[in-house]
Amino acid sequence: MDLRDRRDIGTDVYQPAEDSQLLAETVCDRLSSDDGDRSDERRGTGDDRTVLEVGTGSGYVASRVADETGVRVIASDLNPHAVRQAREKGLETVRADLVSPFADGAFDAVAFNPPYLPTDPDNEWDDWMERALSGGEDGRAIIDPFLESVDRVLAPGGVVYLLVSSLTDVDAVVERAGEEGFSAAAVADESFPFETLTVLELFR
Amino acid sequence: MKESLLEILCCPLDKHDLELEDAEYDGDEVVDGVLVCTECGERYPIEDGIPNLLPPDMREESPA
Repeated sequence: MDLRDRRDIGTDVYQPAEDSQLLAETVCDRLSSDDGDRSDERRGTGDDRTVLEVGTGSGYVASRVADETGVRVIASDLNPHAVRQAREKGLETVRADLVSPFADGAFDAVAFNPPYLPTDPDNEWDDWMERALSGGEDGRAIIDPFLESVDRVLAPGGVVYLLVSSLTDVDAVVERAGEEGFSAAAVADESFPFETLTVLELFR
Repeated sequence: MKESLLEILCCPLDKHDLELEDAEYDGDEVVDGVLVCTECGERYPIEDGIPNLLPPDMREESPA
């Protein structure tokens, strides 16, 4: 069974699945919560927070966060078809490679459901859906450069919500995040037949 | 894109500010134009209202 069989693939844009739902719910919960220790710093700042979703795909997660929390959400993707779908949902969209075109300290939170499926190099196929799913041989080919660069765009007290899978080795992601100066907390998880999905909250 | 998006964008190459040139508007949306780096002069197109801020070497890379 290859990646094409594991996911229902039929378009140029990754459509919402269990991972998208888990990330959307978790980000909405965490942003809406006034009880978190770090959110105390923001109390009274209302809805002037700005959140970036990297790799927004169809725009599902970004739309839910915008609708359910009232924060300003920017949705970015490498894929031109994805940014068009996201813009049709009324989102502010940018075609971008990870966080490279965003200003220093611009975001109170950055959410990312990265391509994470470990892929045999011989089995890769060169189209947009592969780019949306494949995380290279260890599943972390996109996660690592994201972890290296995301700190720059976070505002003081800013956090990252990163969806990871047991297929990707969550401990290795946590260790890599640690090397970049982040502490990690697993704030949600959900088990499925061939993987367990976890949302990591990364903070400094 | 909204013009206010400019405040949170920068040149993906050198992280300097961008300036909007040749803007065409539909209401408060910028639907066409170019974002130009104030430092290196690299130009980034706005396509159908969506700024394309891929670094130049990635811009033409478009599978399927």
